[in-house]
Amino acid sequence: MALPKRIIKETERLMAEPVPGISAVPHDDNLRYFDVTIDGPTQSPYEGGTFKLELFLPDDYPMTPPKVRFLTKIYHPNIDRLGRICLDVLKGNWSPALQIRTILLSIQALLGAPNPDDPLANDVAQQWKEDQNTAIATAKEWTEKYAKA
Amino acid sequence: MSAKVPRNFRLLEELEKGEKGLGAGKSYACSYGLEDGDDLLMTNWNGTILGPPHSSYENRIYSLKISCGPNYPDTPPEVSFVTRVNIPCVDKNGRVDPTKLPCLVQWKREFTMETILIELRRYMALPQNKKLPQPAEGTSY
Repeated sequence: MALPKRIIKETERLMAEPVPGISAVPHDDNLRYFDVTIDGPTQSPYEGGTFKLELFLPDDYPMTPPKVRFLTKIYHPNIDRLGRICLDVLKGNWSPALQIRTILLSIQALLGAPNPDDPLANDVAQQWKEDQNTAIATAKEWTEKYAKA
Repeated sequence: MSAKVPRNFRLLEELEKGEKGLGAGKSYACSYGLEDGDDLLMTNWNGTILGPPHSSYENRIYSLKISCGPNYPDTPPEVSFVTRVNIPCVDKNGRVDPTKLPCLVQWKREFTMETILIELRRYMALPQNKKLPQPAEGTSY
């Protein structure tokens, strides 16, 4: 199957000019499927961790957003137990002008700025609102346990 | 030809469909869900089949286990009954024999867990199977 030019270009640029702290490598047998890593942002509870994700560009990309999921366990109010991410640009606020690169940057930014008012993981969000210090401590603990191979 | 949806994203789609309830109007004849909501690999699933009407399976709920290995959906999952059942495609340990159920024999990548559950239910209702005597209700393997 011919890969759309848009995807080829995006992939080439991701390889040639990688974003600091982010990598995205397509699978040899499926060029729409990427292994992704994102480094936890500094001064966040995820600092020092390397988080694995997977990203898939569906048939109608870029008319619909990429599908992205965390493969590393993470304690975050906008990421659920199966690694699914609640992020506006992955849903209704997607625009074909956005790219894999911008989406991954948005996810990295989400790690630096958890938003418990728009939760996906309700129990985590509640903890985050009620006792932020404990929530941050748990997030650090999970980073230590799961994101440092 | 369309993009090949990788295993995990395929299973997420199936999960979301399963959570919404299968095929509106089919009165929840079959259902399935993830066994452990924390399992990032999404390997083990639970399924149920409501025995088809006018058969010896009627009014019984059959529980199943479905295991989606690393090569799913290129290869079919392993399926076994938890609830005891007497039916030719299931062996004495409850395992669904992949050489006997047509959708497993001729597995296609676009088939889903729903395909299997619906076909098993249809298989129960076949003329040669629908009157088979069933084990005592509520017994498990």
